[in-house]
Amino acid sequence: MDAASPPSPPRIRRAAGTSGRALASNALIVARFLPVWFATAALAIVAAVRAPDALGNTSWSYVLPYATILAIAALGQMLVVMQAGIDLSTPGVISFGGNLIAGIGAGSDHRLALAIPACLGLGMLVGFTNGVLVGLVRLNPLIVTLAVGQIVLAWSSKYSRESVTNHPDVPAGLSSWATGKPLGISAVFWTGLAITLVVALLLRYTTPGRRFQAVGANPRAAWIAGLRVRTHVVLAYTAAGALYAVAAVLLAGVRTSIDPALGAAYLLAPIAAVVIAGASLAGGLASATSTWVAALALTFLTQMLLIMGLSAAMQYVVFGAAILAGMVVSGDRVAGVIGRWLRPASPPPRAATGDHKS
Amino acid sequence: MRKRPILVVLAIASTAALALVAAATSTARGTAPPASGPSGIVGKGGTVGSGGGFGEKYTSPTATLSHTLFDAKLLPANKSARQIALAAFGRSTKNVNYNLALSCWKNNGCKTGTGGKLTVAYVEGFGENIYRQMSKMEFILQALTYPQIGKILYMSAHSDLNQALADFRSVIAQKVSLIVTYPDFGDAMIPVFQQATKAGIPVATYAWGYVTGPGSNYTTVVGEDTCRLGKAFAQVMNTQVKSGNIAFLGGFPGNPLSLGWQKCEQAALNSSIKVVANQPTNWDPSKVQGIVAGILAQNPDLKGISYEDALFMSQGGYAAYKAANIPYSGVFTYRTDEAAMGCLADKLKNPNLKIYYYTAGNSQIRVALTAAMMKLKGAKIPPTIVFPIQLQQQSKRSMCIKGYPPEASPTSLIPLSLLHRMYP
Repeated sequence: MDAASPPSPPRIRRAAGTSGRALASNALIVARFLPVWFATAALAIVAAVRAPDALGNTSWSYVLPYATILAIAALGQMLVVMQAGIDLSTPGVISFGGNLIAGIGAGSDHRLALAIPACLGLGMLVGFTNGVLVGLVRLNPLIVTLAVGQIVLAWSSKYSRESVTNHPDVPAGLSSWATGKPLGISAVFWTGLAITLVVALLLRYTTPGRRFQAVGANPRAAWIAGLRVRTHVVLAYTAAGALYAVAAVLLAGVRTSIDPALGAAYLLAPIAAVVIAGASLAGGLASATSTWVAALALTFLTQMLLIMGLSAAMQYVVFGAAILAGMVVSGDRVAGVIGRWLRPASPPPRAATGDHKS
Repeated sequence: MRKRPILVVLAIASTAALALVAAATSTARGTAPPASGPSGIVGKGGTVGSGGGFGEKYTSPTATLSHTLFDAKLLPANKSARQIALAAFGRSTKNVNYNLALSCWKNNGCKTGTGGKLTVAYVEGFGENIYRQMSKMEFILQALTYPQIGKILYMSAHSDLNQALADFRSVIAQKVSLIVTYPDFGDAMIPVFQQATKAGIPVATYAWGYVTGPGSNYTTVVGEDTCRLGKAFAQVMNTQVKSGNIAFLGGFPGNPLSLGWQKCEQAALNSSIKVVANQPTNWDPSKVQGIVAGILAQNPDLKGISYEDALFMSQGGYAAYKAANIPYSGVFTYRTDEAAMGCLADKLKNPNLKIYYYTAGNSQIRVALTAAMMKLKGAKIPPTIVFPIQLQQQSKRSMCIKGYPPEASPTSLIPLSLLHRMYP
């Protein structure tokens, strides 16, 4: 920028040293993830004015467990999106996983010890398959995960017909735990909160987590730096599969009875939550906590529109518009606008730019 | 050579997981008992009807009629419609090869081995739930009672309209003898119905799969009058709820079944009863839970719900009440009679839970097939074959019939032993 350029905001100009760049960088990251928090707060205010019943206990008794289940599925999707991928096998894993809980559980709490690991194993197996096909064989993730998901769904349908239809109830131990309310709040919510925090901390404060982000943000640079890019892709899909399976276990507990299409609602909703939460579809940046908030916002919005008495058609219109608005104000766009606003007036000295993007 | 420990660990873990899943699924399966006995329900108590024609006998055991219609008197008022119904239900008692039926059901079609010249097709827009799969088996069992039928075809379009149209054209091109269908896409199917009719292929729908122009665009529609169903629901609400808030739940937005009964129930309700919500559920139990939770959040004093599907109210609906800590009570009117709802009500033993229901009507598909077969023989088939409606009260006649799978309708005419082989 030359000397004739109009002056930038003074506070930014004054901070335009190394610490200024750090501040701007942090602000950019925060700006990417903040809109969903503001949107959720705005949603709560609208609900308080237009549909106060949406903030009542009865409403939360549905919203919290279902938002948590969506959030866990969305966390899995987030890991994949962080590696610039996409995963459409979610409904397959959740449907089959839930059916395994009922089928293997066979109404007995003792068999949960077999049913839950089987469900988790299935999720990891499907995820690993996706990961190998995408990461090692280099196939298109959209097509591969859709195809794998369809195969899993078909298998689930067959298994459900042969082993679940006659005994669709989830073992009482799991359903009574899932519908329990420690400290007055859904047990599923506490579980989801713990999982979200673990994922957030792992990504933010551990070396493998930072490597995972670095590989997603710039695979070429990560490869040059000696990181195993393909391994991380396989790992992302496998971990995602495991998280879908956890969602399946929780959903089975909440639903208490299983049907063949248990996971049908989880094809696009987790992707919407990840995108609204500000994740970059190009890979790299994503926030576990914002993803959780986005899942909460989407579930709450659905319930609020219902309570407001909107017709089914209008509910779809408003819901779709809200997702579009969420995409407009989150992620790269807001980060780009704020980035231009925060950009230092003159380029920093060459010596100060020696740090590498990771 | 550089090792890749993470990938190796993942591969081993996945293999172990596969083995675990395989082992678990195999241990969960039981061995199926062989089916035996006559198809359908036959008991003491004589028969209803007399006479015959067009290769049929217009009689049926009273027990069969009572089993599938609740009461042997609940036959269509129209004489020829009643005769077709009697012929169809009478046939359900004939012995058929259950192993062949099961194989045909699993493989979506088969050759019957009779050497018959006729090919019959059951083509539908969606077939991936228990209700439709049971209807498919009823169709196969009924078809196996006709030695003239040599081949049975089944197609589901998996909720894809274009596929549904293509499937229909495909069976017309194969020159099938008749088509039975549930028109999931309503009047969008008229062109292919007309095409079949023009080609001389009888087309019959069941479960009141009404498409415009029965008798001209297609042969006949079998089922209950959904408007009368709505009026029956309203009568229950007027006498049991008397005044207060109730809610309607429906299936996919705009589907003719929900619209049919909702419009007539609304019109027949007392002015002191207010319908505070009318929401489509897409017949999805998860969605049912969310919608019932939303309605309860706004109307904790809700006094009743009218809906098609008893099963989903025993799953998602009950879960919503439970999660909200609201007693599962009130007046509920349903179109279907899945065992799960009855067993839940029996378990809850709540005198304030008042459930009224109609039959899921799987066996109506037998009437549709027999009507089309009679058409082939030259019979004049009425454009509508309408069964009268008499709602049942759970407290007097429980839907929970011992031995039935929770998701099955006990008024089906599929023998229980065969049902257990379908759903072990």
